[in-house]
Amino acid sequence: MLRFDHVTKRFGELAAIDDVTFEVKPGIITAVIGPNGAGKSTLVNMAAGSYGVTSGRILIGDTELQKLPKHRIAHAGLSRTYQNIRLFDGMSVVKNLEVALVPPKAGSLIANTFGLSGRAAAEERRARCHAVLERLGLAAYAERQAGSLAYGQQKLVELARAIVAEPRVLLLDEPAAGLNHGETEQLKQHILALRAPGLAMVLIEHDMKLIMSISDTIVVMNRGRVLAHGTAGEIRSNTEVQEAYLGQPGAIKDIEAAARGRRNRVRIREGEGLTWHQP
Amino acid sequence: MENPARRASTPPTAATRKLWPGALALLAVPVLLLIVGPHLPAYPLRILDMILLYAILGLGLNIIVGYAGLLDLGYVAFYAIGAYSWALLASGQFDIHLPFALVLLIGASLAGIAGILLGIPVLRLRGDYLAIVTLGFGEIIRVLMNNLDGVTNGPQGIARIDEAHLFGWTLSTPDDFLYLLVAMLAVVFLFVWRIQESALGTALSAVREDQDAARGCGINTTRVKLVAFAFSAFIGGACGVVFAAMQRFVSPESFTFWESLVIVLVIVVGGLGNPFGALLGATLLILLPELLRAYADYRLLFYGMALVIIILARPRGLIARQFGPSWLMRRLGGGKC
Repeated sequence: MLRFDHVTKRFGELAAIDDVTFEVKPGIITAVIGPNGAGKSTLVNMAAGSYGVTSGRILIGDTELQKLPKHRIAHAGLSRTYQNIRLFDGMSVVKNLEVALVPPKAGSLIANTFGLSGRAAAEERRARCHAVLERLGLAAYAERQAGSLAYGQQKLVELARAIVAEPRVLLLDEPAAGLNHGETEQLKQHILALRAPGLAMVLIEHDMKLIMSISDTIVVMNRGRVLAHGTAGEIRSNTEVQEAYLGQPGAIKDIEAAARGRRNRVRIREGEGLTWHQP
Repeated sequence: MENPARRASTPPTAATRKLWPGALALLAVPVLLLIVGPHLPAYPLRILDMILLYAILGLGLNIIVGYAGLLDLGYVAFYAIGAYSWALLASGQFDIHLPFALVLLIGASLAGIAGILLGIPVLRLRGDYLAIVTLGFGEIIRVLMNNLDGVTNGPQGIARIDEAHLFGWTLSTPDDFLYLLVAMLAVVFLFVWRIQESALGTALSAVREDQDAARGCGINTTRVKLVAFAFSAFIGGACGVVFAAMQRFVSPESFTFWESLVIVLVIVVGGLGNPFGALLGATLLILLPELLRAYADYRLLFYGMALVIIILARPRGLIARQFGPSWLMRRLGGGKC
């Protein structure tokens, strides 16, 4: 569904992404893991149109995303959540979702403003937003201001906003960052419930427990390259991955420390670091 | 793909909510104005007309500044375009005498087009940069009017502008304009409220809150901002036509940066993004200098101090964004919100 085809991204001399090729299949959850600076977020930002690519192609079907302006990428069926929550704080929760459903044509926007058309469509959009909120257990907060919600709820609202337009590709950039144990468990159930034949999900996460328990396939990145790609079992037994950094007891600590560092804005659970042992 | 989101679950619609209390409350103001207004002496009536005019300008500018969050310091340019449309198309200047309704449409449309033309190059800018460019645009239009002697009569301005006639009704006295302005205010008020509640309003709010995230959600930010600019400029242009018809004299002096600033203040003091705010802001900002007229020497000092106090005490304006007409309807309508 989503295909990275020999994608390279350079920031000056540094190759943040170096000739990456892999495909994210629909119907399953693909996790992208790797130490900080491996290029995970860069990959997401390129797919979503926040960064341009230096070379290579990013495709949904036959559509080359790297050629589209950012808003068209959303219409091509890709949506995302952000590492640091980016809701429209001053708007109500349901309005946050409605943003993702705004009709793209200027003509229909204007006609809708004058009340000439689209009344039924607007009602339907609203109904869709409420249905998604209900699904994620947020129905009670529909009219609350998004910025006033608790952190965990804001994360869920962001997820709701990302799925309301029924994307074909969903990029989740550290959805569990800063969530407590119960919230992470809830998030896990929601993500698993989202699994649908037409939806390719990409999960970037530092919470290894979460990754190992819900990912169908894992892409391991290191220094802008794909190191390994396989099931959780395969990845764990992959000697190359182990040699690269997992096998060294110190390395895991480094990853953890780095993960803490970059999450200085959000909470992280104490004493519950990254681990390669399945629960 | 399978579409579980569409599994119908109806939103909490306001089936139990009554519409009439809110509608009555909204109607009260124009009705009151129409009843009381004509009995006022000429001087207060003229001030009332100016308040209404600035309220409409405030509602128009609110689309850009309040809804989309783009600071436009050159709104007076659109006002000037409208005013000069009437001055040039209905006066002895070129001996053209078009009907008022037509010029209202022409002036507003020209302003709307100017809004789009201005918007295309500048809407990539944000914040301070946009403010500076729009400020420059306002000044360019004024300087143009000042220097195009052959067309606009330069700094002397254009006098002997026609009396306006609208469908056989002569607009000459302040009461005539009161009726026109109240009607315009009602139309513009409903229109900007409609914008706020429509998909365009949702898109504009998203642009204001987080432009990049809005684009990530599929909003063509440039396009929605252009539409907002056009609507806003259209309203400014229409106000300009009415202003010129009311004064029957225009000169570049009426369109200085100060005017743009007053309109921005109208909505900032009243409450950004709130249509009621524009009404209250216009009332205060036009009434205050008149009340201070007795203290001519200190007038601007008091005026400035009053504004500083208001902004310090109510940083979100006198009526915050969320207490708009929709809130009023919900509040008075009962039922579940």
